Amino acid sequence: MKTFTNANPKDIREAITLLSRGNASIVGGGSDLLGMVKERLMSPDVLVNLKSIRGLDKVETQSGKMKIGGLITLDALSHDAQIRKNYAVLAEAAESVGTPQIRNAGTLAGNVCQRPWCWYYRNGFPCLKNGGDKCFSASGENQLHAIFGGGPSYIVHPSDTAPALVALDAEFHVSGPSGDRVIPVGQFFQLPRVDAARENVLAPDDVLVAITLPAARPGVRSTYHKVLDREAWTHAVVSVAMVLEMDKQICRSARIVLGGVAPIPWRLPKVEAMLAGQRITPELAAKAGEAAIVGARPLAKNKYKVPLTQNVVKRTLLSLA
Amino acid sequence: MSVTPLKTVGHPTQRIDAVKRVTGTATYTGDIQVPGMLYARVLRSPHAHARIRKIDTSKAQALPGVKAILTRENCDIVWSSGDTRNKRYLFNNPVRFAGDAVAAIAATDRHIAEEAMRQIEVDYEVLPFVLDPEDALKSDAFAIQPGGNLSPNAKGQHEPDIFRHGDIDRGLTTADRVFEDHYTSVHINNAQLEMRVSIAQWDGDKLTVYASTQGISNCRTDIAKDLQMPLEKVRVVCQFMGGGFGNKNQCHDFDLMAAMLSKSAGLPVKLEFTRKEDYVAVHGRWPTKQYYKIGVAKDGTLTGIQLRGYSGMGPYRKGAGGIAGVELYQCPNVETTIYPVYTNMAVSANLRGPAYPQGIFGIESLMDHIAYELKIDPLEFRLKNMTRKYHDELPFTSNGLEDCIRRGADAFEWKKRWHAAGVGAGPVKRGAGMAMGAFGSAVGRSSAVVKLDGSGKYHLHVGVTDVGTAAKTTMGLIAAEELGVPLEKIEVISGDTALCPYSVGESGSRTTTHTGYAVVQAAKDLKRQIAEKGLPQGSEVLTASVNADPAQPKDAARYSFAAHFAEVEVDTETGHVRVIKYVAAHDSGRIINPLTCASQVKGGATMGIGMALHEELLYDRQTGVPLTAGYYGARVMTHRDTPDVEVLFVETEGAYGPFGAKSIGESTIVPSVAAVGNAIFNAIGRRVKDLPITRDKVLGVLA
Repeated sequence: MKTFTNANPKDIREAITLLSRGNASIVGGGSDLLGMVKERLMSPDVLVNLKSIRGLDKVETQSGKMKIGGLITLDALSHDAQIRKNYAVLAEAAESVGTPQIRNAGTLAGNVCQRPWCWYYRNGFPCLKNGGDKCFSASGENQLHAIFGGGPSYIVHPSDTAPALVALDAEFHVSGPSGDRVIPVGQFFQLPRVDAARENVLAPDDVLVAITLPAARPGVRSTYHKVLDREAWTHAVVSVAMVLEMDKQICRSARIVLGGVAPIPWRLPKVEAMLAGQRITPELAAKAGEAAIVGARPLAKNKYKVPLTQNVVKRTLLSLA
Repeated sequence: MSVTPLKTVGHPTQRIDAVKRVTGTATYTGDIQVPGMLYARVLRSPHAHARIRKIDTSKAQALPGVKAILTRENCDIVWSSGDTRNKRYLFNNPVRFAGDAVAAIAATDRHIAEEAMRQIEVDYEVLPFVLDPEDALKSDAFAIQPGGNLSPNAKGQHEPDIFRHGDIDRGLTTADRVFEDHYTSVHINNAQLEMRVSIAQWDGDKLTVYASTQGISNCRTDIAKDLQMPLEKVRVVCQFMGGGFGNKNQCHDFDLMAAMLSKSAGLPVKLEFTRKEDYVAVHGRWPTKQYYKIGVAKDGTLTGIQLRGYSGMGPYRKGAGGIAGVELYQCPNVETTIYPVYTNMAVSANLRGPAYPQGIFGIESLMDHIAYELKIDPLEFRLKNMTRKYHDELPFTSNGLEDCIRRGADAFEWKKRWHAAGVGAGPVKRGAGMAMGAFGSAVGRSSAVVKLDGSGKYHLHVGVTDVGTAAKTTMGLIAAEELGVPLEKIEVISGDTALCPYSVGESGSRTTTHTGYAVVQAAKDLKRQIAEKGLPQGSEVLTASVNADPAQPKDAARYSFAAHFAEVEVDTETGHVRVIKYVAAHDSGRIINPLTCASQVKGGATMGIGMALHEELLYDRQTGVPLTAGYYGARVMTHRDTPDVEVLFVETEGAYGPFGAKSIGESTIVPSVAAVGNAIFNAIGRRVKDLPITRDKVLGVLA
């Protein structure tokens, strides 16, 4: 491992100042970051340890909204009683990450900002994510790669909590050198056609401090369904985060977001629209599944993800009906 | 069929070192710290095949803390057990796979060693590479070794390994039906928990190597041979080891590198691998391509079996490269032709039942298919055609295969669970499958020393390291039984060539039958001495030392047998496969320790399920670089993937082994892959013929 300095800032401002000096990385839980430093996928001179700042892991209600500190561990998030009750999709997503050890160390902000797990990137190929000019998966081993939104990079976004947060219409509180700002979740993640080296709009000296969820509403049902290639410690092959606002048997509104199929959490606005005002029946669920895969562009080795996505959307919808 | 009960042997017994292992007080090789020790790292080729034009180590050499650097330019040691056909150096030029060693560095800490690794400048001339064994045999393929890509046989001839029995043409032309199909398996890693590590320390011209080895005696012999040292100048120590599954036999290049770095630096050296290195740089199971033709008569009797197979050995011939399984069937006409082929993938050699699970997957899948086609219950088809004589000729010393099938089927409730293929209603379908297996159980050379001191304590010296099989406990139990004393009276001294006699090495499932046999003989000799001289008093010690080399029976074959049964749930909408019930029936003769023996079976079956459903060292075809090295990428089984494995022992009576024991460790994985594959077929009525049976393939055959 390359030698680095561990810096313990006292507050966010100091953290940003340290980050602004260049070649520094934020460390929250460090569960993925340290592995990446060991693998030389990143070689920071300074690690800015956010755990030294108090209060970044709090869950609090502010005028009905739920504000969650970015440093909360995935384990704590998945066990928080209010989140389990009112935002089940987020608790379930957090609970599905990695292993108990990873969830004990890994944080919400770290999970949202996690770098891709594409095997070309992680093996140090000179790809678009590693400063190169080519995506090796496009004509290579793309079994686990994108069927939506790909090009020029075909990675899939690795986060479980990110689709849940998009489905919940969260807001991201970001602090940077020029101050604090709130980014709507729809503007946080970024397709590779905008910038193939990154997955979101954060600058290197930005800190994702907290995430706010809209006030809990009656009749909301939500869930996270994750398909794994083994029962633990893999990323989603396909996942679905679904939030339905129900009025008895009628769906008033829906937000459906896919994980594991696109370089960003992949929202399905057309499927959401077709559910509004409808009774969720097996027939409607089947139609929703069909609509979910419209526009999918699979690569040579991931065609199976298309029917898989269709079926997982159908099932997840029925499970909430 | 059952064996006469004994006093100590045959009762579930906790490992004698269990508490040390589970409380973290056992000292594994990686835990050992020698004062003044340096830390070493290995620079490896990023290319699948390349000639090294130039290596410049000057910048690395100049880094403070760097104490020794070895490359081909200053080290031309040949690692003899790394290749049985060609000269394989510690550092080869050309490098022949992504991960082939280029240089080794020892420094005062591992971070400096890693930094030095990055400062070494290597000028590579990239060469063409080939990954597929059939492609490697094409006339336009680039030769990886002199003489071409068909690895020569033991006589040095570039010819395939051919076995013939009867007349295959007759066997196929006289058949009522001939079935033809092909199956493939991939390179997977042993994935043992303990990564490769070696610590070398010189004292004058004497060398001590703290190794992580499956055989201290073999490791020592190989080190002495490759470093051209007298055997008595080399000591190998491995008190606790954390698994190997066949890739820690003999000595390894890293043992020799540690020794040479230590010699060059004049200080002890510890060389540790990362998990990724462990996956790519040592060896795994050989991938195969298997083409079968099987002739059957109308009544289901086999008339001929023909196999043409290709085994990808990587660029060095470390393993045998066979494809086993055809011999499980009684058939008058058999022909197998196996091509062990050089490729630029990671080296392939021993992994638990080296030639078996992949071969059994092929033959047992096709036999299963034939049974369905002939409308015969696959279980009845096996009972009809299973081997009664080895290669149709030699009787077995004991053959519990039929009992394994019948008793396993009862425990599994085969009649209730097995059904016509693919008939289940709904998207989630259940299916049942089974497969047979066998593994050799030879007796042979090994040694043991038993001492009795004046205090009444027995000391058993055996050169085992205990690769996870509980060999130390097994040896203690065998001695206790023969001596007629409780296990607690016996101290087992193992894992150090300075303290222990030769042992065969914990490979080939031989420890119980080879070293166990020597223990019985030594105990017998000690009892004779006690009868003659009386019990030792005060500082007196009685010593019985035996170098046993029992002859194999010439008129009979000695094998262990097994039948595994799996029930799976296949979700036809998601391609998800889950094993929900598993029964493993084994004939390993008398079971010395039912507790640890059952653990072996559970572990083997679990490994096999992982091989069936998940694991692959997947290569990028554009660059020849592996993509899935490590536990995350290779999708090694987790506890949550593992079903309860119900274990049954059919204890056949048979001579030769200690108290009639046969082998166990490797037979446990042999039928498992095929059993799972056959269960998936039974569930969905479609067959995936290429391992691993992943979601994309399941959804692919269903599409």
